Amino acid sequence: MKDLKHIHFYENLLEQTGNDLVLQEKEAGGVAVGYTCYYIPEVLLNCGKAFSVRLRAPNTGSLDISQYYMSSFICGYTRALFERAFEGGMNYLDFYASSDTCQQMVRVVENIRDLGLISNPDFGWGIIDAPLKVTPHGLRLYADQITEHILKPLSEKYGVDISDEAIRAAVNEHNEMCAIFEEISELRKEENPRITPREFHILSLVSYASPTSRILPYLRETLEDLRTREADAQNRWRARVVVVGSELDDYDFSEIMENARCYVAADRYCFGSIPGRQQIELNDDEPVLDQVCRFYLETNQCPRFMSQAKIMQRRETIRDLVREYNAEGIVIEQAKFCDFWGYERTLNAQVMQQEYGIPTLGIDREYVVRGSGQLATRMQAFVESLEIKRLQKGGGEK
Amino acid sequence: MKKKRGAADNLNDKTAIQKHREWRGGRDTAYDYLQWCRLWGILIKWAASHPVQNVKALFRYRWMFTYLTVPSFFDRVCEGHRGAALRGARNNLNYLASDVTKTLTTIFSADMHLHPGSKKAEELNRKIICVDELLPNLLGKGFPDCKMILFQEYPMYLPSLINQHSPVHYIEQSELYGLPADVCPLPSFEAGLAIEDDFPKIGCCMLTSNMPCDGSIMTTMLQERRIGLPSQVLNVPLRWKDEEVQGYAVEEIKSAISFLEEHTGCRFDWDALKEACEVWNRQNECKFEKWDYNRTDIPPHTGSSAWLYRIFEHQAVAGEPLALKNDLKVNKILRRQVAAGKCPKTIRHRAIIWNTPCNNYANFNNWLLNCWGIDSVCEMIDIHGTDLIDTSTHESMLRGLADHYQTATMRAHTKGGNEVILDALWEKYEEYNADMIIMFDQISCKGVSAINGLFEEGAMKRGIPMVRVRQDLMDPTSISRREMRNDINIFMQNVMNEEPVDASLVEFDDDQSW
Repeated sequence: MKDLKHIHFYENLLEQTGNDLVLQEKEAGGVAVGYTCYYIPEVLLNCGKAFSVRLRAPNTGSLDISQYYMSSFICGYTRALFERAFEGGMNYLDFYASSDTCQQMVRVVENIRDLGLISNPDFGWGIIDAPLKVTPHGLRLYADQITEHILKPLSEKYGVDISDEAIRAAVNEHNEMCAIFEEISELRKEENPRITPREFHILSLVSYASPTSRILPYLRETLEDLRTREADAQNRWRARVVVVGSELDDYDFSEIMENARCYVAADRYCFGSIPGRQQIELNDDEPVLDQVCRFYLETNQCPRFMSQAKIMQRRETIRDLVREYNAEGIVIEQAKFCDFWGYERTLNAQVMQQEYGIPTLGIDREYVVRGSGQLATRMQAFVESLEIKRLQKGGGEK
Repeated sequence: MKKKRGAADNLNDKTAIQKHREWRGGRDTAYDYLQWCRLWGILIKWAASHPVQNVKALFRYRWMFTYLTVPSFFDRVCEGHRGAALRGARNNLNYLASDVTKTLTTIFSADMHLHPGSKKAEELNRKIICVDELLPNLLGKGFPDCKMILFQEYPMYLPSLINQHSPVHYIEQSELYGLPADVCPLPSFEAGLAIEDDFPKIGCCMLTSNMPCDGSIMTTMLQERRIGLPSQVLNVPLRWKDEEVQGYAVEEIKSAISFLEEHTGCRFDWDALKEACEVWNRQNECKFEKWDYNRTDIPPHTGSSAWLYRIFEHQAVAGEPLALKNDLKVNKILRRQVAAGKCPKTIRHRAIIWNTPCNNYANFNNWLLNCWGIDSVCEMIDIHGTDLIDTSTHESMLRGLADHYQTATMRAHTKGGNEVILDALWEKYEEYNADMIIMFDQISCKGVSAINGLFEEGAMKRGIPMVRVRQDLMDPTSISRREMRNDINIFMQNVMNEEPVDASLVEFDDDQSW
């Protein structure tokens, strides 16, 4: 296939945590709000002149400094973020919105705060406590915590408009971006898809890591390009899978999948599009903040949610994605040293296989996956096992 | 080189079992012996009360064998103790033994693994509430007709303290199942028990929780699946210093009460709860008094028999009149020694011990004092649940309970932000007039490891001698007791340039010890 429109521009944007669009928005008076987790509603960070940047640490090399401050048994993502902040790579941040939902993630912002690592006199932070189940009083806690620790500081310190109108405007813009993703996502259901896993991963990442208003025009053009794009004559994919798991902001992972000719039909991982790139429907009856918070609580797929209803929801979501996207298998990936996904990966790899009858591969991986031969070998083996299963069922060639 | 003579001469090589009872002087040896006999009395009474059931339990559950070594464990925890410390330790431990044996009887009488198809056991189970072991069971006092049992306490937490080898098999099982080896051994041990089906089959429902950490959240998911009881999560907020989370914490307790009423068929008894909270407040006041004594120049009772009892009291016997009776008795003993101004041991250093202690080396404090004269005057694990519960209204009691949960064992400091673990350390250092910090580097505790650097820099900035002691909570195969001692030996010899109080204890082999 010919190159997707703007794909090289997107790749360049992903080379830096504070990319060109972020800096342009800052120049124009925007307030850069960093965040790391779906527990922080992205759309609320895009109210008024604020804009969200989901934090990454591209081109991470040595993690020696973070190892001293945070030990070597901490997940690579959090260590890489700390290291990047220590190196001065996050000085563009005005505000860090975090949640005390993963103890490693929250220590990053606390370390950054206590060590004064962000050279920005206006730098501020907010940490919320968030519930582990969806209940009316849990929603109250969640909305109040977001108001108290994120929205109020943004309004009082930076003059960000957090009115209902501003939230509705942010939701509208967010929905426009989500509509683009929904349409692109539909293309992944094609038998011979015209978008590759790597390309989709890049689009998803760039939409999280850049100001929505500035990335939207490019995404519109990319969608336009995709509408008329033609897939290669020969379908090169040997298998279709749903990827599920923890934080994954290295699109080399999708490249490894591609090299094994394994098509990622749906991406249900942190930084992926499910959840995160679905439109939020608002009504006029309830406070808009409550509606947004409920949406994020109900769609949240973090294994931290303990209630049986949420545990079942996570499994059924995966099953439904497999059906909807015509996948044959599931890859559950886990960032090494992530306690939540360590257990979720192990348990669900067995449950999805034994109780739902869907072939599942569980893997753990480093933060940077580039050049991981081990990962490539495991993917190839999984693809072969899926092919064998298809042959055994009499399905023959894909 | 001539071998130094000392306390280690009384220990058998590798097993560290004492060759003979420790000589502590005439009065203390006699007291220790009598209390040891009292312990045997408690154990024999328990064993004889339900002999068949107990023998069945012994063969059904691998962890039950650990309880056979309790006398040896108590001896280890009392090593080197004299005067009030010995008396306080023995009384605390014997109270603990009497309560645990009673609970084990309740558990085994209702256990459907031991009594398959038994109507009597079924009847008992209708009034047993299983609760996550890190959720203090004070709430259960509001159901006086029911028994709230800390579900993992008896198969997991206590065995991990009593016998260092008891967790190994279960941790291996969880790793064979595929669970990551880097997660804290506590949830791994629990997961292993569930996988091996080694939890007693008891109870009519289960109250789970997110206590204390991320690993525990996830192991709960696995356990619920294997145990199959109707369950509800009691979500305890993490940012407990934040006043705004308290309303949610109270709502969660109300929701838990409704759940328990529904499954036990009993009405919540507010008067019974009030009575228990008042007893707990008095228990807590006794603890405050003990802390006051430890701030003096002659701390009368420190170490594992103090912190272990505190954990047990807070989690399992809060609001229990017999526990209060023991507290009052122990405090009287301690008061007498403080008034006399006597210190029966050589104390060279006053240390703050921070982070969770090592379960597989519960008598580490004894070794510190006996070998190097380091008295652990204050321990992080000992400080929790420090606010008294206001019993004036139902709401105020719930608010007090919510606080009781949020500041429970391993929760008060490891959750709630850097300030509750960092700032509190420097405050305690001043408050207890300490001269060194012993920092447990629990390698799989990610929440605390993630601020390693801030501890180091904070101590350096303040000029405080601080030693890191590596440990893995309850997995001796990662870091042995010997390696833990070695971290201290290197620090004391090379940084502090000191000679040990008892050189025989510097290097000895106890890898095969319980």
